Amino acid sequence: MRGTLLYIGQRLILIAVTTALVSSIVFLLLHQIPGSAFLNETRTTPQSLAAHLHHYGLDLPLPQQYANWAIGVLHGNLGESLINRGVLITPLLIRETSVSATVGAFALIVTIGLGLLLGVFAALRQNTWVDYIASSAAVVGYSIPSFVIAIFLLLIFGHYFYDWTQGTVYYNVGWGDWTQVPVPAIALGLPYASYVARLTRASMLETIRTDYVRTAWAKGLRARIVVTRHALRNALIPVVTILGPLVTGIITGSVVIENIFGIPGLGKEFVTSILARDYNIVIGVFTFYAGLVGLANLTVDVIYPVLDPRIRY
Amino acid sequence: MAQAAPVAQPDVDLTYEVPEQVTLLSDAWRRLRRNRLALLGGAIILLLLIVAAISIVWTPYPTWLEAVGPTYQPPGAKHLLGLDAAGRDILSRIMGGALITVQVGIGSAIILSLIGIPLGLIAGFYRGRVDVVISFFINIWYGIPDLLVALILVFVLSDALHLIPRGVFVIVVAFALTRWMDMARLVRGQTLALREREFVEAARMSGARDFAMLFRHIFPNALGPIIVQATFAIPAAVLFEAFLSFLGLGLPPPTPSWGAMAADGYHGMDFAPHIVLAPTLALSLTLMAFNWLGDGLRDAFDPRMRR
Repeated sequence: MRGTLLYIGQRLILIAVTTALVSSIVFLLLHQIPGSAFLNETRTTPQSLAAHLHHYGLDLPLPQQYANWAIGVLHGNLGESLINRGVLITPLLIRETSVSATVGAFALIVTIGLGLLLGVFAALRQNTWVDYIASSAAVVGYSIPSFVIAIFLLLIFGHYFYDWTQGTVYYNVGWGDWTQVPVPAIALGLPYASYVARLTRASMLETIRTDYVRTAWAKGLRARIVVTRHALRNALIPVVTILGPLVTGIITGSVVIENIFGIPGLGKEFVTSILARDYNIVIGVFTFYAGLVGLANLTVDVIYPVLDPRIRY
Repeated sequence: MAQAAPVAQPDVDLTYEVPEQVTLLSDAWRRLRRNRLALLGGAIILLLLIVAAISIVWTPYPTWLEAVGPTYQPPGAKHLLGLDAAGRDILSRIMGGALITVQVGIGSAIILSLIGIPLGLIAGFYRGRVDVVISFFINIWYGIPDLLVALILVFVLSDALHLIPRGVFVIVVAFALTRWMDMARLVRGQTLALREREFVEAARMSGARDFAMLFRHIFPNALGPIIVQATFAIPAAVLFEAFLSFLGLGLPPPTPSWGAMAADGYHGMDFAPHIVLAPTLALSLTLMAFNWLGDGLRDAFDPRMRR
């Protein structure tokens, strides 16, 4: 127990270091470009430009700017939006993170639920039509980008469903209602579901041929118990190893999904601010993302020994 | 001087069967040939390459030419894939997009290998302090969303190099700069294992220099996994470009990028789905083909690893 806590502590420090390092790199990269956020504005006089630059401290030398920013980050203050003066970035991003996390969590449920289901059934019915359909779907599915799936889902749920049901059942693009969560979550989770399905099938096929599963069958245990308690529990171990990259993939994928479905999360903010050259927000979103990916990976590593008691920290 | 007695020739036939020399590639090809999905992938890639090559010299219409017919015209005899919202011929644009896809995919794989392979070789061969630095960098990188760093790099690079209409080059470089770690980690692992093998030991004893050992003895023996890794980097790069262009952050508008075409078609999707269908299908098919070929190559180069 103490070892686990020590391990978590070490990892948290490493996450903090990584986040700081990466966001510093992004900070320095973006500050190589002069304050172009204000150059897009019409009627900019040299005086007002100078006033803008002064307000954000962009007229200071770069090391000074970096020091100010780093001190702010240590206090949990990511600065102020360059476009909307007075909008503080930290509370904005915390609000948007909760939106993104909702979609991401649902997407993860779709990915793992559907992936496990397909993988387990394909393995149990190996070389039957169930297996062929599930395996072909997985082989095709993991190459289709999430934005392509999103487009097709929009066409089906937003357009055809509206026509078929005379407008009673359809997906309304936007955010604010629980019924608007599943469609984007499916689009985000589906490509990774086929990945999970392939992996589950392979590891399940290995597990159901082991001696202890044969023993469990021989003892006359019910099929449900053998599959869930003896086979699946061990088949899950390789699947858990890809959870880390999976979460990173879902976070990255959310950037495009949130833009398609008009969800006001971190991903939409990221693209909007890049296009508007609001670099303060870009750096802020990036810091959030780096921290989130780190924490997600840590969570996965903490779950790992629960599934596989042979692993200890 | 007495003539030397002729040496008695033994009266046996000395021909014995020379084992057929099998190179890495021909051996892999023999196994790959049996994998139908990989062959299908290869055929699709070949088609993609041919279309891309043709599009350099000829497309039915210029890819940028607007109003060659009524806007949103569905597929027909004159325009096989129809026309888009600006009245541009979609078939021509798909062909032009194939060229961009090939450039992005292969360019990224090459640059990424040029960075990743030497760093991996050095880290694995010299170990010690060099390895610690390179491995630290690789491990840090695994904890961050690299695609988003690449996205920022695209912007920074194009501004820094004054390439205001962003080109394929910037996208390829940004992708390679954020994705060489996979390759470096793979090569490092291979090198660590190979440097202890007898043939490397023999080369060292016969006085081979480090450079010769790295590139003549270790690198060729790690070639199989390297080819597999590079093959999987291609669809990732293609997807990255499509992702950027779809969001409007990639190649500028008249460029026939499949991602940008999907974004254009997306707005008129409910009455003209053919505009969005063509690029998304082309993109999905391409990604599928590279993934299938990659899977096939992985099995072919490493017969022990059966999935």
